[in-house]
Amino acid sequence: MQLLNTLLIGVTAGSIYALMAIAFVLVWRSTRVINFAQAGMALLSTYFGYEAVSRIGSFWVALPVAMIGGALFAALVELILMRLLVKHASSGPIAGVAPIIATLGLLGVIRSVISMIWGGQDLRIVAPISNDGFTINGSTLVFSPLKLLVLVVVAVLLLLLTILFQKTNLGLALRASAHAPEIARLSGVKVDSVRTLGWALAGAAGAVAGLFQTVNGNGNFSPDSIEFSLLLVSGFIAAVIGGLDSLLGAVIGGLFLGITISFVLMYVSSGLFFIAPFIILLLVLFIRPQGIIGVKAGRRA
Amino acid sequence: MHKAKQESTHLTMFILGGVVLYFLSGMVDELRVYQGATIAVYVIAISSIILLTGYSGQVSLGHGALMAVGAYAAAVLRIEFNLPIILCFVVAVLAAAIGGALLGAAAARLSGPYLAGTTLALAIGLPSLANQFEVLGGEQGLLFDVGFPPLALGEEFTQYKWFFWIAALAALISMWVVRNLLNSAYGRAWKAGRGNEVAAQLTGINTARSKVLAFTISAGIAGLAGALLAMTIGTVSPSAFPLSLSFAVLTGAVLAGITTLGGVILGAVVLVIIPELADVIAHRLGAAESVTINLPGLIVSGLLILTVLFVPNGPVEQHRARKAKHSALLGGTHKKMQ
Repeated sequence: MQLLNTLLIGVTAGSIYALMAIAFVLVWRSTRVINFAQAGMALLSTYFGYEAVSRIGSFWVALPVAMIGGALFAALVELILMRLLVKHASSGPIAGVAPIIATLGLLGVIRSVISMIWGGQDLRIVAPISNDGFTINGSTLVFSPLKLLVLVVVAVLLLLLTILFQKTNLGLALRASAHAPEIARLSGVKVDSVRTLGWALAGAAGAVAGLFQTVNGNGNFSPDSIEFSLLLVSGFIAAVIGGLDSLLGAVIGGLFLGITISFVLMYVSSGLFFIAPFIILLLVLFIRPQGIIGVKAGRRA
Repeated sequence: MHKAKQESTHLTMFILGGVVLYFLSGMVDELRVYQGATIAVYVIAISSIILLTGYSGQVSLGHGALMAVGAYAAAVLRIEFNLPIILCFVVAVLAAAIGGALLGAAAARLSGPYLAGTTLALAIGLPSLANQFEVLGGEQGLLFDVGFPPLALGEEFTQYKWFFWIAALAALISMWVVRNLLNSAYGRAWKAGRGNEVAAQLTGINTARSKVLAFTISAGIAGLAGALLAMTIGTVSPSAFPLSLSFAVLTGAVLAGITTLGGVILGAVVLVIIPELADVIAHRLGAAESVTINLPGLIVSGLLILTVLFVPNGPVEQHRARKAKHSALLGGTHKKMQ
């Protein structure tokens, strides 16, 4: 029973990491940038969701509001910051680190502005359904209706994304721009707009990750939530495990990470909560640096 | 010939600067002296980032964690063995350097965003380890007391002034060491590896070893900064080394001009002055409390983005380049200065 519990907790957490990893992968594929502000954007979207909940009172309205808000904001960042970055800082001695530093700066700006508008205190989003465990044969599981909901919503979103990427012309344009931007441009794909779309999709995925991370925890969140730093690191690690370029890889990476952390916390020590992701990342980078699905020889970016 | 002359001007400037600081620290109030000590700590931390990121091209978002390693090493030795304070600082450097060597060995296989993400995971994970070992004192942390200033300095000599003198001396020594390293064959090897790794390897540079060395040295310097920071606060605890410390140091380095040591003091001063400046602005505007508290963060982050976009080499280097170009034109040569 404990084994099953550990597995289910890991799968739930892992599916949230997978969403975050998908956000990283979408941005990486469209602009070759690791967006370290991704968690800040997810946090901002969570505040959008909070506003919707407190006005309309329904989590089911908050979810799409957060997604649309997150998508619009991410698109805006790509249109303004990323295009300026390409224009001004794509050569010179620090060209390699400029995108990292710029997205970190963005993370700082987002957090400061959030704290100015909403204050630094904890706010709360109540989960739409119970987080009390299911009871089977008299024993209570840790797995709850809420966790089931998280899994279902994440699965549906993944299905929609897969259909978008594999079955639509837009998806073809997204894939073409990621793999061969010049050829895509020659074939009449508006590569710049497709990039913006990639960021917007990432913003929406991050928004869902942020909301679910909040309600799957204790429902509280603040600009300084350690939860969101963890989400940043876990999403990044999951994306790296999956090879950074593959959506399927991101999902596998997220689930792998979630389940591994869950087992480490249960069977080794719960004090390893913060350091476990780092150790897993190091092991992955040493044992299989190209990721599970990645095909490139090295980790050169 | 020209170089030797330059060296001696720098030495005179260091001494002159020291004399000015000595009289200044007697004139200004305690708060300013304390801020002076903080600036000295930041100078050391920023120079470690300039060496690592600006020269060897490796990004670390985890220097706060390496600073914590140095601070904890110093504090544990001070408490358990009551070692002289200077030895504590030496051990802080060594401990962080060992940590940096391990991290650097992993880092040499990584680049750009992979390295940034890995060091970020470290910055979030490492401070929490303090709760795992009793000797590290958990959330409360450890006391780190460097003792009273020697009586020979007079009775007027305050504790903060003592902090300031220790930190300023350490800053001068580290600046001197870093400057010489950057101008040495090592510095050139780092720069070559940053520019074009394959070309550097072709000239016979072992770029992997060179990168690990840069990480080790940079970590050692960061460890010293961490121990000094702990000295000014008086304690070592996980909350003294948050993720934002790593970001602040990187920000200071970028604002200073990450490819040159010339602006390092500017970067450190900006980090200390902005909170005060923001306070004045916010009060002038009569802003709400939440705005007042978060204005410094907003200004610093905004400056970070603007610097990367518009003066990627930093204001000091920009100014120098412009002046060099100008004087080259005046000199009648039409050769383009790079």
